[in-house]
Amino acid sequence: MAKKMVFIDTSLCTGCKACSVACKAWNDLPAEKTRRISSYQTQADFTPTTYTYVRFKEEYYDNKMHFNMLKLQCFHCDDPACMKACSSDAIYKTESGYTLVDRDKCIGCGYCVANCPWGVPKIDEATNKMYKCNGCIDRVENGMKPACAQVCQTGAIQFGDRDELMPKAQARVAELQLTNPKAHLYGDKLMGGTTYVYLLQDRPDAYGLPLNPTSPISLTLWKDIVHPLGGIAIGASAAAITVGVIANLLRGNYANRAKNIAESHDEGGM
Amino acid sequence: MSPSFGRGAMTNSWQDMQNSECFLIAGSNCAECHPIAMKWVNRARAKGAKVIVVDPRFTRTASQADIFAQIRPGTDIAYLGSMINYYIENRLYNEFYVMNFTNALYKVSKDFEFKDGMFSGFNPETKKYDYASWAYQLDAEGKPIKANSLDDPDCVFQKLKEHYSRYTFDVASNISGIPVAKIKLIADTFAAANPGNIFYALGMTQHTTGVQGIRCYAIIQLLLGNMGKAGGGIQALRGEPNVQGSTDMANLNANLPGYIPYPTNKEKTLNDFAMNKGAVQHRPLVALLKAWFGKNATAENEYGYQWLPKNNPSNMPTQTHFFGKMEEGQFKLLLNWGSNSTVSIPDRKIVARGMSALEMLVVADIFNTETAQFWKEEGLNPAEIQTEVIFLPAAFVYEKAGSMTNSSRLIQWKEVALPPLNGVHPDLDMLDHIFKKVRALYAGSTDPKDEPILKANWDYGDHEPSPLKVLQELGGYNDVTGTNIATIGEYLAAPIGTVSTGNWLYTGVTPEGQNLADRRGNADPTGLGLNKDYAFAWPGNIRVLYNRCSCDAQGQPVDSRRKLIWWDALQNRWVGNDGPDVVDKTKGPDTPEGKTGFKQNPEGVGRLFAATYMSGAVATPTESIAAVPIRGAGMTVDGPIPEFYEPIESPTSNILHPSVQNNPCAKIISTEFGNPGEYPYVLTSYGVVEHFCAGAITRNIPWLNEIAPEPYAEISKNLANKIGVKEGDEVEVSSARGKLVVRALVTDRIQTLKINGKDQETIGMPWSWGFASLSPGPSTNNVTMAALDPGAGTPEYKCCLVNIRRA
Repeated sequence: MAKKMVFIDTSLCTGCKACSVACKAWNDLPAEKTRRISSYQTQADFTPTTYTYVRFKEEYYDNKMHFNMLKLQCFHCDDPACMKACSSDAIYKTESGYTLVDRDKCIGCGYCVANCPWGVPKIDEATNKMYKCNGCIDRVENGMKPACAQVCQTGAIQFGDRDELMPKAQARVAELQLTNPKAHLYGDKLMGGTTYVYLLQDRPDAYGLPLNPTSPISLTLWKDIVHPLGGIAIGASAAAITVGVIANLLRGNYANRAKNIAESHDEGGM
Repeated sequence: MSPSFGRGAMTNSWQDMQNSECFLIAGSNCAECHPIAMKWVNRARAKGAKVIVVDPRFTRTASQADIFAQIRPGTDIAYLGSMINYYIENRLYNEFYVMNFTNALYKVSKDFEFKDGMFSGFNPETKKYDYASWAYQLDAEGKPIKANSLDDPDCVFQKLKEHYSRYTFDVASNISGIPVAKIKLIADTFAAANPGNIFYALGMTQHTTGVQGIRCYAIIQLLLGNMGKAGGGIQALRGEPNVQGSTDMANLNANLPGYIPYPTNKEKTLNDFAMNKGAVQHRPLVALLKAWFGKNATAENEYGYQWLPKNNPSNMPTQTHFFGKMEEGQFKLLLNWGSNSTVSIPDRKIVARGMSALEMLVVADIFNTETAQFWKEEGLNPAEIQTEVIFLPAAFVYEKAGSMTNSSRLIQWKEVALPPLNGVHPDLDMLDHIFKKVRALYAGSTDPKDEPILKANWDYGDHEPSPLKVLQELGGYNDVTGTNIATIGEYLAAPIGTVSTGNWLYTGVTPEGQNLADRRGNADPTGLGLNKDYAFAWPGNIRVLYNRCSCDAQGQPVDSRRKLIWWDALQNRWVGNDGPDVVDKTKGPDTPEGKTGFKQNPEGVGRLFAATYMSGAVATPTESIAAVPIRGAGMTVDGPIPEFYEPIESPTSNILHPSVQNNPCAKIISTEFGNPGEYPYVLTSYGVVEHFCAGAITRNIPWLNEIAPEPYAEISKNLANKIGVKEGDEVEVSSARGKLVVRALVTDRIQTLKINGKDQETIGMPWSWGFASLSPGPSTNNVTMAALDPGAGTPEYKCCLVNIRRA
């Protein structure tokens, strides 16, 4: 299957949250009890049953309101940190560009949670498995749009083959840059190039996004350099767990994970 | 719209929005309340269209705007009046259009006067106007006298110019809070676009000056020549998928289906009605009576005219009034279908009082709404309420077949997607069952008052009623051929008394053996979004109303990229991509009929000045009542030209005429009012994208409660500082009528306004919550006010005075 792309054009998004509801409907995810956090946002973060949500950021400067709405989900990186960090080879890439988890293999170690620069994966405490956006792979592989793109009325979520959609995204940025020099693509060059690519109208942090999301160096060092050698030297799975634990300990990630889980029940987010 | 253009409907369509070059979205939060609109707005934006949003809050729609202006609720007429003034003073109007397609040249009666905020003819006792002086100067034949130029001091154009000369940008800015430069920018941007489009919804109508606000839009669009054009027009965005359908079927108390004026108690016979209203109303009324009474409607018995109850014009309650009437004991039984009044009515304590006085309340709904259990609300004593309540579980939209008519006047058919569960029935089945039972109870009665029930034509099937038979009844039958009416032309050509239609506007939707509402042809050869083979739009499948106005004097399209219709000299006929909205397709642009742009108006032109006027000689009875060639104009009850009045509860005085603060005709129901000393802030209420209206359905859908779990009060940072609250704190919002506690949403999207030199705060609150459902919450209509627009009966939900404090 050709490489796919989802283009999220924030200049067309009106924050209606239909994407969030459609995602839950298609993936059969239960609603969670929420309170309004700020602005019109009620979902604070990803959870094992919230794969996508809309973040609202309000900024007022130069006598002008900047009401930024951003639909968030897994970026489906080409070079995903979660996959590198996974201790049980449960995370894999599809030819079409999706980053998926095989829950039969997942042991709930949480390395993916700790290493994703966008805080996407979440471990369900009951099943001890990782859950996140699967890109509606079941729909995509059957010639349908992802549920979020299907219901988006404004055209803010577009789906297609990467070869065809990327030039359109670039043309759209060029068009917006005529009046807004801040308009830019986000994701196309990050983490090896993401399947979900955004058009932002302001700097990433105005949407609460990291400027330079990367895989931790320790992880890159381990997975791309040490691991291939180690796999020869000692049993691969043993090495994966041992060195993975060390790499994560060094970064204090276990503490972070505990904090993350706590926060997903409160507010905060990535 | 009706007093301006002759038809009270959105003029273009959803798809047509892609043809616009500029949108003035004012009184509509379409990104939230009509999300589908943004699909088409965005297509126009991709081609360079500009979006202007005017709203009391920076909404999700405003996030898409090129120009946003924050306005004080209820002051639209002030800035719109200044735009009209600016267009006239700077000759930014379309002169050809104004001269040919409006009543600008018509001379106004010398008796007409506007002085100190009042039009001539006001009766302070009844709070009503006598329209007699809002007239034209007529010639010997009773035709309006036209001036030779727009400079004639008697002509409509000069009256307009004089009226709006008071509306400078400075005055408008002081009233509305919009800076002068921004009003000018809006005016210039909108005038530069060709065509420009205006959207409105409840933000414009829910005022005691609602109708006049829309009249301002009509005047602006007529001056700029935007009516009748692809990408132009005025879009009345309808709230529900079928609100246009319900309006077509007479949800206004002065109408019968198809906007036939409801016969009054002065029109004692069908002949009286025909003399008063002319053949133009006589024809559809007879066709309607024939649909309702079938074979029992004959020429000899006035087609059953006497079986129709008559309206008393001095006692015409609208929905908000009904609860008071219940309290007075005028009603014993209420059939409440799909309405959650307990949440949705302003100053809503009047609802429980009214319902408590009923003997029986029947609620048909999908969920157990607040209305269905009104006696359970905290503060009421169920032991004192003797109302018997019966709940009829209703089928959901996907569980029933039938037609729905959307904003585009598009009649769309749907089939059952899922059959309803046991014990749940479609509305039609329930009504059919009730009617048949009631009729059986009256069987054998010889009491004349029971005749309408016994004589009614009720034939939708023996066991399960067929929704298609209902649509066919609306589309009509021809007695002569014995078949369904094929086209609106067939209906118009048939002798009166030989056709029946349940709604003359729907003629042609069901030709014999066909259901055009069920068409799904998606071809769009022009790229204009006309989609003529998709379902069926009334009237006669015309997609852009008044499209004659898209042509020049020779009948050729003025916009070569947006060709709707044109005169084809070879065929001797109006033809086009759209159905021609002309008097007669065979009358060319050199004939009076062929020049007529607004055929539903008695003058045939768009009405800048809503004059009282009846075309044709006022009749003395003739041989054939069918031939009375008169047509009455739609009227605005509170003035022929829009004037700014402060909302009923206002934080300031009316700087245009301090002695006339409010609309003198407004209908007031609430009895408690606050003053700005005690209640200094302006509250505006609204819907949100996550919930639908009173939330009867959506507050029972967990996924929607997840994304909008609670109501809130949106306040500016200045106000938050002043009352010492921060984001998420609980606040009590109170008015003279009631109070509620919600959490504060502190935002930059509402700014402090400068009104008549003073700082003014606005508070925004969604209203979709009530005490029941999976997600209960306090109702904003505790504090709102029941004061109505005098013409439409729409309550002023959009502005009242409140106080706010930390709870």
